[in-house]
Amino acid sequence: MTKVKVLIVEDDVWQAEQYKRILEKNNYDTEISPHALDAIDRIDNYNPDVILMDILLTGSTAFALMNELQSYSDTSEKPVIICSSVGENLDIENLKKYGVKKILDKAVMHPEDLVAAIRSVS
Amino acid sequence: MSVRQGKGFDPNIDIDGGLSSVVAAAHELKSPLVLVRQLSLMLEAGDVSSSETQKILQQITLTSEKALRLTSDLTKVARLEDAMFNLEPLNPQQLCEDIVTELKPLFDAHGKDFMLASRKHPLLLVANRDLLRRIIMNFTDNALNYTGDNGSVEIQIKALNAGKTIRLGVRDFGPALSSDLWSSLRDKLSKAPQNIHARPLSSGLGLYISSQFAEAMEGNIGVIRHRNGATFYIDLQASHQLSLL
Repeated sequence: MTKVKVLIVEDDVWQAEQYKRILEKNNYDTEISPHALDAIDRIDNYNPDVILMDILLTGSTAFALMNELQSYSDTSEKPVIICSSVGENLDIENLKKYGVKKILDKAVMHPEDLVAAIRSVS
Repeated sequence: MSVRQGKGFDPNIDIDGGLSSVVAAAHELKSPLVLVRQLSLMLEAGDVSSSETQKILQQITLTSEKALRLTSDLTKVARLEDAMFNLEPLNPQQLCEDIVTELKPLFDAHGKDFMLASRKHPLLLVANRDLLRRIIMNFTDNALNYTGDNGSVEIQIKALNAGKTIRLGVRDFGPALSSDLWSSLRDKLSKAPQNIHARPLSSGLGLYISSQFAEAMEGNIGVIRHRNGATFYIDLQASHQLSLL
């Protein structure tokens, strides 16, 4: 069976590794992008099923990346999950237009929350 | 009843400035705490190999140490005005070698290199050892975050202004600072913590702390933009003790 592919866009290396660890234990295929520019390059080749991203990224914010994704028909439908330490301040209704399906708050989430969120959108 | 209030509760404090400092400190401390919590949950759940367990434990230790350095710096800044700091001639080469040794495990764990550019001739500057050490540690933590995979960070020591000034710089090889960020950084280095948008892992708090420590030593901090990163530096007065020998 083909694994669901998750692109992790996170500039904290150890945090990104942690997501990868959790997801690969649950049989997901993952790749890590440390910043938005790398993510834009990687999306074409990797063609992820889900994009998991932090809202604050080195070089440019997640909003720049999400705008870019919305600009192309083949990427505009990719489900986006925001995983952020400022998650409590974000409103899902305002982010739906960027393809955001779920918001996770890093400060309170458990590993199973991450898996459940990805399962719900893939 | 007369109650002596601490600096943080001074009724004359600029509320917005005070609050933004607290928010910046809270934000800066939140990231390592979040990571430590998540790594701990992973261990708690079990089903982790012994090599992976060792790696996670090391990440918890190093992340906690980084957060503790910040709390220690914040305490120091809060007491800066009341404290006396001895300024003494010191050899920055030795100080920087000690920092490289201390932070090497952190860089190794990130797969990055950390070195001190060698110098033929020793230089002496006038500083407080503890404050200078904290500034270089702050610059180094910042550089670690923004240096790319398998990259390196280098501490450089230079004499400027015909030997009257000694510059200690920490060079990273991360994303270039945008022109806007560059100009705003220069303006804001000595002001309240500012969000540095192109480098969001940092709230600017580390730079603010460093600028306060530098001021206490009559030094200046600054940043040089490179095509592939930045050098954060502190300029301090050279000691003339060597010339007397």
